[in-house]
Amino acid sequence: MTAIGRWLHDRLPVEPGALRELTNEPVPYHLKRWWFALGGTPAYLFVVQIVTGILLAFYYQPHPSTAYESVRYITEEAAFGWYLRSVHKWAATLMIAAVVLHQTRVYFTGAYRKPREVNWMVGMLLLVCTLMLGFTGYSLVFEQLSYWGATVSANIADTIPVAGGFLKQMLLAGEAYNERTLARFFVLHAAVLPGFLVALIAVHIALVRLQGVTELRFRNEPPDENRKFPFIPDHLYTELIIGLVLMVVLSALATLAPATMGPLADPRTTPEEIKPEWFFYVTFRWLKLMGGTAAVLSMGLVVFVMFAWPFIDAWFRRRTRLSEASVWIGIAATLLIIGMTIWEAVAPH
Amino acid sequence: MTLETKRIVIGSLGALFLISLVFVQWLETTRRAEEAGLRPARVVAPASSAACVECHQETNPGIIDHWRGSTHAAKGVGCVECHQAVAEDPDSHSHYGFHIATVVTPRDCGACHPHEAEEFAQSHHAAGGDILASLDNFLAETVEGAAQPFDPHSPTPGRPMEPVNGLASAFLGCQQCHGSKVALRATDGGTVTVDDLSPDENGIPTNAEALDRILRNDDGRPLFDAGSWPNTGIGRLNLDGSRGSCSACHSRHDFSPRRARQPENCGKCHLGPDHPQKEIFEESKHGVAYRDLTDSMNLEAENWVLGEDYSAAPTCATCHMSGHSRNNGRVTHDPGERISWTNRPPVSLPMDTDAEHRVVTTADPAERREQIADTAEAKRTRMKEVCSHCHTPDYVNAFYRQYDDFVTLYNEKFAKPGQAIMAALLDQGLRSPTQFDEEIEWTWFYLWHHEGRRARHGASMMAPDYAHWHGMFEVAERFYMELIPQAREMADHAAAAGRGTQARAVRNVVDSILARPEHAWFEGGAEAEATRIRDAMTRRYGRAPEAPPE
Repeated sequence: MTAIGRWLHDRLPVEPGALRELTNEPVPYHLKRWWFALGGTPAYLFVVQIVTGILLAFYYQPHPSTAYESVRYITEEAAFGWYLRSVHKWAATLMIAAVVLHQTRVYFTGAYRKPREVNWMVGMLLLVCTLMLGFTGYSLVFEQLSYWGATVSANIADTIPVAGGFLKQMLLAGEAYNERTLARFFVLHAAVLPGFLVALIAVHIALVRLQGVTELRFRNEPPDENRKFPFIPDHLYTELIIGLVLMVVLSALATLAPATMGPLADPRTTPEEIKPEWFFYVTFRWLKLMGGTAAVLSMGLVVFVMFAWPFIDAWFRRRTRLSEASVWIGIAATLLIIGMTIWEAVAPH
Repeated sequence: MTLETKRIVIGSLGALFLISLVFVQWLETTRRAEEAGLRPARVVAPASSAACVECHQETNPGIIDHWRGSTHAAKGVGCVECHQAVAEDPDSHSHYGFHIATVVTPRDCGACHPHEAEEFAQSHHAAGGDILASLDNFLAETVEGAAQPFDPHSPTPGRPMEPVNGLASAFLGCQQCHGSKVALRATDGGTVTVDDLSPDENGIPTNAEALDRILRNDDGRPLFDAGSWPNTGIGRLNLDGSRGSCSACHSRHDFSPRRARQPENCGKCHLGPDHPQKEIFEESKHGVAYRDLTDSMNLEAENWVLGEDYSAAPTCATCHMSGHSRNNGRVTHDPGERISWTNRPPVSLPMDTDAEHRVVTTADPAERREQIADTAEAKRTRMKEVCSHCHTPDYVNAFYRQYDDFVTLYNEKFAKPGQAIMAALLDQGLRSPTQFDEEIEWTWFYLWHHEGRRARHGASMMAPDYAHWHGMFEVAERFYMELIPQAREMADHAAAAGRGTQARAVRNVVDSILARPEHAWFEGGAEAEATRIRDAMTRRYGRAPEAPPE
């Protein structure tokens, strides 16, 4: 051990071997395939969001009188401001997409089943947190659509029986959108939700580490002696390559389709077309189809079923012979979500 | 289900999700770009006009492309909404199952924009067609052209020997700004106009005989008199009894508010030797600021309120029509609402207007009080509200004092005397009632209609070169060097012809004018003034002005 190593070891009494074992989890062979390595992608994009978000926060001013102008300054005047804002925006989109893809893989491979039910629920919380981050971030620009999007969302929350009024008040910091609302969104977006996300990611990874990654055996895999490979450096390299490709993709998207600004929020003028961010298209369309409280309650039920799915699935499998019913339900649900998202996207109003 | 099958399911759904994500993001990015004004809004033709758009996209792509970029298109207003007609409309015809009319009038626009149409109807713009019975039109129809067609007097190689249309100058000159009287060809070889149709308050003709006389082609489409259509003159006399053309300012078919806000739009008519408002604006500090700061004008803004959406510089619309922060953003379609002098006639008049928005011309104070519905002072106050966005009250009031003094100087020194001389010549029979058949009538017309207006408009919009060199300098030169000598010459000719009484009467008018203090220098000399100037210049440059400094 070198002198520096000894100095450190005296103060941090951690055995290098134990540290190596802790971080160097044996990884199942199926993760050699790229499409099974999506779990790390949202985490990587989250790091991108933290870095770009901190830089944006240097300039952003969360007040109705200054928010729009500060975003305009970032977009049009601050050095590389347009790039940071555009990367932040596209990374948010890709992060949600990556979470959805990861969840799809976990769902269809049955990786949520015993003993990983709790980690599925942690994953669901991560999804909800990510969507909330997207919603609060969209609202910060204080342009027409973000203002009215927030107002409509608060009104939707208001339709929830019993707790609706309280939720609306908590969201808007009052009965209606006011000068304190943006500060609330900003604190949620830049501190509370990222804090939750960090904690949830830690629990998620700890559970993966404790329970191990679900092993998937394909017919064409090599013999049993090579079924695992080390996390460091093999899988780390895979994640690094994905990260580099993502950085190129983000830069290309930021350059080709940079974040723009709509008209300044005008509480007196309701836009003819109100649309939320794309990841809420499905709920928005559902709301239009069902209307009011019925839509909110049914969506609440769907979210509850998604949370409790490992237990519902186990109960279903115990009582029926349809062991693969979850696959067909998953296919139907995915097609429904995609269909309704596209429907809302192409609908003029 | 095997893991391999599930892999295919995951891969398929993942690919479908990513493809849909790309599609949705493309739509979203496009929508955001449209919202930010970076590209024209996506347009879906309303069902009622889908067939029109599809066909005219091939035959007149320019019309459709313009319409696609319009607010109308974005709001779902298609072709039918504006061009639809009822069978009783004189210019209506059946077109692929729809009754449509070619000419869209302010009455049609007023169906959706009633407030704007009403304001416009009360404006001087809407009265632009009154030129059809004015001195200006005599100039175009008779002096420049011919009231009746006449035969060419020699062949022009390559052209048939057809009668010459003597009204061509009026059609393509005056009427393209002032507006034509829209006419349909009649079966008897004449025309059918609003005068023949006598439309009711809804614009429907009450004269069935006139309707029956309308000449139609084999498809039942009425044929327009080529002289009266196409025309987008601002005071067009339409077949439905309405006046004007909204597309005079809001060019079809994109009806761009941005374009209507720019001085070039007004410059189609408000330019040239007789009322060069656009050139005057360009010379003024207002125009200089506009040219430099166009990018800061926020011309795309939905409401374009001065003091809220922009304050970099004014345009014609800013001062005369657009909303501002002091009037809650209220736009007016009557540009006369903020004008306190009318500089159109030979002698300028305060814009005290009656209930019909006509200038009150009586001098009797009691009658004036009775007739005036909106005072010139009230109009000026409205204009001052605009000015006050960039200027202090003292500054604005002082400017108006300068402007009033200037107009009064022109009126008193040249316009009223000129009018008096011209009246004396007519009263004494030294000139004929026919306009423009004597040199002095051209002289007088140049003096007030061209140079006098240039001077007054130059003063009203802070363009010193137009107020002075293109204005009062030329007015003075025309008055002293042409009008006065020509009047005296006509008096001399009359005296020589034995009409001494008439000659003396005219001479008395001319002499009494020139004897006034402001004209005394012309014949009495101004040596004392000249000496004072010469001495001052000698002190300044060390030599007399005859030997200018090197």
